Amino acid sequence: MVPEAEVKDVLDELQRLRARVPLLTGALAASTDGLIVAQDTPGIEAEGVAALTAAALGVSIRMTDATGRGGFRELLIRGESGYIATYAAGSSAVLTLLAEDRINVGRLHLEGRRAGARIGEVVDAAQDRPDRPVPPPRPQQARALPRRTTPPDAT
Amino acid sequence: MANTEASLKDAMASIEGTVGVALVDYTSGMALGTLGGGKDFNLEVAAAGNTDVVRAKLRTMEHLGIKDEIEDILITLGAQYHLIRLLKTRGSNGLFLYLVIDKARSNLAMARHQLRKIEAELEV
Repeated sequence: MVPEAEVKDVLDELQRLRARVPLLTGALAASTDGLIVAQDTPGIEAEGVAALTAAALGVSIRMTDATGRGGFRELLIRGESGYIATYAAGSSAVLTLLAEDRINVGRLHLEGRRAGARIGEVVDAAQDRPDRPVPPPRPQQARALPRRTTPPDAT
Repeated sequence: MANTEASLKDAMASIEGTVGVALVDYTSGMALGTLGGGKDFNLEVAAAGNTDVVRAKLRTMEHLGIKDEIEDILITLGAQYHLIRLLKTRGSNGLFLYLVIDKARSNLAMARHQLRKIEAELEV
């Protein structure tokens, strides 16, 4: 959980982002386990999006891991009528943006990365505060992808 | 015919005073290739920003009922010229070349002429 004051900071950042970037229809900051930190997504059920973001993030992390691409940075999904972009925000949060199809993707990336970094700073600082209880460590995820099982002596 | 990289290199080498050059897709705002620039001139930022410039001009022409096309756009700064040249060759719709040149070291007419030549030969 993120304290009230920090939630306000994150929400300000989301609203600033929506004001700055035309054709951006929604912005949402969520923890990596799928809980909403702050949201500005009119007409969209944010809880569902946050939960799905966590699921997509899980697959993305395993993908980057399995192919030796380092930590997760961003994920872009394009549907027939728009984009969904997810950016890493510090060590325990992500920023998900919803945009119309005509958006300038270059600009979306620039603004999304910048906002993700700022939200990451706020969320990480809130969680590093010593007067707060340390959250329990997350269970280790299975790292290896299922492999094709070939008997060692198959010819 | 020249590919993207060769064309960018050509622009950088043959146009006097060039600071940076990029080939940009204005349907997405992302650069297909960049050359030059550097840490105090981020061509990715320029690609995204100038996509908005091109889109705004196209929209304005549409609103004015002008049925024509943009050949190029010149932006004159205090110390630089920024040239945007839309691609017209087959299969390269929705792209523009973006050229940044140092005003003091360049010849605008020559730069524009050379960019037109590079554009005509570019095949994406």
